[in-house]
Amino acid sequence: MLWVDKYRPKSLDKVIVHEDIAQNLKKLVTEQDCPHLLFYGPSGSGKKTLIMALLKQIYGASAEKVKVENRAWKVDAGSRTIDLELTTLSSTNHVELTPSDAGFQDRYIVQEIIKEMAKNRPIDTKGKKGYKVLVLNEVDKLSREAQHSLRRTMEKYSSSCRLILCCNSSSKVTEAIKSRCLNVRINAPSQEEIVKVLEFVAKKESLQLPLGFAARIAEKSNRSLRRAILSLETCRVQNYPFTSNQVISPMDWEEYVAEIATDVMKEQSPKRLFLVRGKVYELLVNCIPPEVILKKLLHELLKKLDSELKLEVCHWAAYYEHRMRLGQKAIFHIEAFVAKFMSIYKNFLISTFG
Amino acid sequence: MSDIRKWFMKAHDKGNGSAPKSTGAVKNAAETAPIKPEQASEDLDTAARRKTSKYFGKDKTKVKDEKEVEELPAKRKLKTESDDLSKARPRKVTKVDDDDDDFDVPISRKTRDSTPSKKLKSGSGRGIASKTVEKDEDDDGEDAHEKETPLKSGGRGRGGRAASGASTGGRGRGGGRGGFMNFGERKDPPHKGEKEVPEGTPDCLAGVTFVISGTLDSLEREEAEDLIKRHGGRITGSVSKKTTYLLCDEDIGGKKSEKAKELGTKFLTEDGLFDMIRSSKPVKKSLPERTNKGTEKVCAPPKISPQKEETRGKPVAKISPTKAPPAKGKKIIETSLPWTEKYRPKVPNEIVGNQSLVTQIHNWLSHWHDQFGGTGSKGKGKKVNDAGARKAILLSGTPGIGKTTSAKLVSKMLGFQAVEVNASDSRGKANSNIAKGIGGSNANTVKELVNNEAMAANLDRSKHLKTVLIMDEVDGMSAGDRGGVADLIASIKISKIPIICICNDRYSQKLKSLVNYCLPLNFRKPTKQQMAKRLMHIAKVEGLEVNEIALEELAERVNGDIRLAVNQLQYMSLSMSVIKYDDIRQRLLSSAKDEDMSPFTAVDKLFSYNGGKLRMDERIDLSMSDPDLVPLLIQENYLNYRPAGKDETKRMELLARAAESIADGDIINVQIRRYRQWQLSQSCCVASSILPASLLHGSREIFEQGERNFNRFGGWLGKNSTAGKNRRLMEDLHVHVLASRESSSGRETLRVDYLPLLRNRLTSPLQTLPKDEAVSEVVDFMNSYSISQEDFDTIMELGKFKGHENPMEGVPPPVKAALTKKYNETNKTRMVRVADMVQLPGMKKAPKKRIAAMLEPTVDSLRDEDGEPLAENEEENASDAEEDSEEANDGEKLESNLKNLNARGIQVELDLKGAGSSGSRKAAGRGRGRGKTAEASTEKKATGRGSGAKRKR
Repeated sequence: MLWVDKYRPKSLDKVIVHEDIAQNLKKLVTEQDCPHLLFYGPSGSGKKTLIMALLKQIYGASAEKVKVENRAWKVDAGSRTIDLELTTLSSTNHVELTPSDAGFQDRYIVQEIIKEMAKNRPIDTKGKKGYKVLVLNEVDKLSREAQHSLRRTMEKYSSSCRLILCCNSSSKVTEAIKSRCLNVRINAPSQEEIVKVLEFVAKKESLQLPLGFAARIAEKSNRSLRRAILSLETCRVQNYPFTSNQVISPMDWEEYVAEIATDVMKEQSPKRLFLVRGKVYELLVNCIPPEVILKKLLHELLKKLDSELKLEVCHWAAYYEHRMRLGQKAIFHIEAFVAKFMSIYKNFLISTFG
Repeated sequence: MSDIRKWFMKAHDKGNGSAPKSTGAVKNAAETAPIKPEQASEDLDTAARRKTSKYFGKDKTKVKDEKEVEELPAKRKLKTESDDLSKARPRKVTKVDDDDDDFDVPISRKTRDSTPSKKLKSGSGRGIASKTVEKDEDDDGEDAHEKETPLKSGGRGRGGRAASGASTGGRGRGGGRGGFMNFGERKDPPHKGEKEVPEGTPDCLAGVTFVISGTLDSLEREEAEDLIKRHGGRITGSVSKKTTYLLCDEDIGGKKSEKAKELGTKFLTEDGLFDMIRSSKPVKKSLPERTNKGTEKVCAPPKISPQKEETRGKPVAKISPTKAPPAKGKKIIETSLPWTEKYRPKVPNEIVGNQSLVTQIHNWLSHWHDQFGGTGSKGKGKKVNDAGARKAILLSGTPGIGKTTSAKLVSKMLGFQAVEVNASDSRGKANSNIAKGIGGSNANTVKELVNNEAMAANLDRSKHLKTVLIMDEVDGMSAGDRGGVADLIASIKISKIPIICICNDRYSQKLKSLVNYCLPLNFRKPTKQQMAKRLMHIAKVEGLEVNEIALEELAERVNGDIRLAVNQLQYMSLSMSVIKYDDIRQRLLSSAKDEDMSPFTAVDKLFSYNGGKLRMDERIDLSMSDPDLVPLLIQENYLNYRPAGKDETKRMELLARAAESIADGDIINVQIRRYRQWQLSQSCCVASSILPASLLHGSREIFEQGERNFNRFGGWLGKNSTAGKNRRLMEDLHVHVLASRESSSGRETLRVDYLPLLRNRLTSPLQTLPKDEAVSEVVDFMNSYSISQEDFDTIMELGKFKGHENPMEGVPPPVKAALTKKYNETNKTRMVRVADMVQLPGMKKAPKKRIAAMLEPTVDSLRDEDGEPLAENEEENASDAEEDSEEANDGEKLESNLKNLNARGIQVELDLKGAGSSGSRKAAGRGRGRGKTAEASTEKKATGRGSGAKRKR
């Protein structure tokens, strides 16, 4: 088993990083009725861990007994019926699902399926909580319509059902939903915290951590605890015992994006753009989410860029990222960004160096 | 700028360099020079231009010139207003450049000034030409201002064009001509649109055959063809003995000119052609207008030079005009039948084209009864492979080329009685209810017919009344005719009469099964000559006066559809008795537009040099020719185009704008598709195709050596489907990992964060540790996350990047084999906690029956429990097998499969869908599943009604 999963805190008491939040949550569910919750924060900060621990707190051990179901629904949408498929993770008391998997049909998931799930009261309520919990992942990827349909469901069936929403950015969640939830922001852990966790893991695994090695991993991890632990293990697999100057290899795709950035900086020509397109396709084919690509690409470019261009480039990246979400074919938008960057950079080079 | 200069130099050189070349030409010039002041006509152009040709015979020129001199006065009188305008042009030029010694210069100047883009359209060429002249005047005025810099002024207003001439030229121009592509670089005519295109008598070139080679002086290739055809000449593609002239203005030394030299074919320049046409013009044409065609006809023949006539015996069969009108009138009154019916071939010889196929049908039909009749259905199964021994034939071909006609004719000729069943009849599956009998649906009739012929034969009528069944338009069997094709096949199998099936598209999906039972015969489109011959015949009978060239044009325009051609002819006969080439052109101009245009052609056109000059509606038409594919092609290829006259920085900027516009198109497309805002489709077109194309249209360049310089097919479709496949694989992996209950991360996290480590954990032991140790470690790891072998492959596949090493690199094959073995061994005790769709091997009707297999651990404590449902399952299977007597075999196989699986300690639960009892069984299955979870809570298991788990691989 991977360390990331092995040392994941299973209950709210064992949480190391966001101890205060964990305690608050514990109080919340033990002392009073749990409201709808919205967890948001960057990836690798521990949202999911907290949610699972919270569920365990509410329902006890039965929350851990989950089963995976690949369920198909037929939704009647006026003139036609829509077949939907969704993987759900459910225990007796909670159901977890990712409605945004259904793509642009997510609204039917919310309208029909979630509503149906929310409607049904749990059968045995004796001694347990009188409600069940729906965990919805990636709420920020829900389309606007889906979010609109969600808010009514949240009110109407609140007697029998609680929603726990989980997302990376609350800015893409509509105000209406935010106001119906108790918002819980989960910060990315600080580097010191990450180092602490890494040392904890190392101790458990009885590894020798050279001085400063954990700090370097923490630095590279971009404040994502998950990534930090994963790269610690990667290092362990690659080379043990650790040496203090061991290279912490980046993720395969990160390396590839960095290559693209180098390509773009080196030459700005249609030919180069064509080459970059091929590489971006490669990433997309490898299931790297386009937003991640664009973000990483921007980061890599910013590293190498003159400061006067940074603002403009960031602006365009944001512009195209937004449009990417409006559109469907991500490659077009990434390519547009690269083309824009090339154009800007070329102009800049010519104006400075002639 | 350099391009323009190059162009200028070229034009200049051409003019100057040729001057000393041929003495004859100089003489010519000297001759024409004195004439010039008085005439001040476009002869200046022609004469000067003539010098440039090396091939122009000296003596001939003289003759021609003299003729011209004679003719011109007469012609001038005829000139209309527009010509008066054109008169202004030469005068002006001479005025400006009078002091110049070398009179070549103004010519080249003028060339550059004129706007050559205006294509001369069929008849109306003159009007447009005059327009250009007006523009020229303006330009000249400006030129006066910029006199100091002649080079620049020369280039102005022609920037794009000049560049186009210098680098790759005319991409996609050929697209309009029936798919013919100009792969080579053909330059635009240097003096494009300048010369006045002469008009002669319509038949002045009758019987003359031309071959055009290279670039002409002022006419586009299409224009030249048009001109020649309009005057009754014939154009062929390659030089042969029949060729009278090779039309070319420069020796490009190609194959054509070599061949022509070999055969002694005469060379002709464009001016020569013009003279030829001009000379045919009746001298005394001071008559008001050419209302009287008769006089023209009379005038024309003497004008045709003797050599023209010798090549072709008789020019064109002409019916005297006096006779024609009454004949026509009579015909129309006496019969109102459509010509298509009236002139439907009566004997097989009349069928246009495909004669060999007709013979083939004839042979097949005449031998049918020898092969299949009489003895009946004994040996037919074996004969199927024997060509010509099929019981049915399938005629295929585009509409209107005589398939039905041939079938009917041949059967009639052989004394068969044809029973035709076409799309107007209901052709559904025959009703099995015998009580309904022949009175039922049409299909029953067919069945009856097919079956009962034997009875008819017994009655000894077979000699006189043999029947043949013609199933027309079999590809039209659709929605209403459920099971039609299958039924037809069944009919063919039992048939005792020959069956002829007719369809348009043999490769249609619907007919796939039918083709195996039929002898396929593909009707080809008849050539235009063949069609013209037949049309000529019809025209003659109807008293229409048409020349052959016109009919050939008609034949070409209708794209092989002779029925359409006859219809058009009849339509035109209503309003006119003499049909000329121009009429046909005019009439079918609109229909030509409708022909299919491939998205590639459309993209070529949008990106071509002249792309900027297309009208907006034309562009929308082009991009709408395939609103899905064209944007993709544009997106794939826009990087390859170099907009003329822009430097690299500017180009990059344009690229960025184009890319943004394409992205806009994507956003609009989402609005259209998701929210059904179809009113936006034009905006989508503009954003996704037209804007990028208009920003970047120019020459196409290649990025890599050896790449073909054509537009690539859009890469998005392929990439998207690969991405989709990988996404599904990823989903499987994700579900498995989730089911292992070790991790609850999302799919993206799994890919972005986990995957590299997973891969590492899976491969690095194999590369470093000794074999057995490594294998067991990896398998343990796989089991802990319930990673299956497919998932293993997925993980390896997803980590592959071009130019990066394969993660499985360095793993020796024996280790891989050991891994597989070990994995399968431990499979017995392995826990897969997720319901996958398992396709049992040997299941024929797999898609109908869905089998959700639940793989259970063979923990000892569960042994006793396992036994019971296992038996239950087998019972179920058995009952199934009994239920479906037809599928008994399948059931057996299934059972044996189950036993195999059971032997491996796997319990399989069947979920048979579609059967009547499936509902209850399903419920039972679910109940059991649930119960078990509750019972054995230690057992880790997930129930899945796996109906969803897609496994598209």
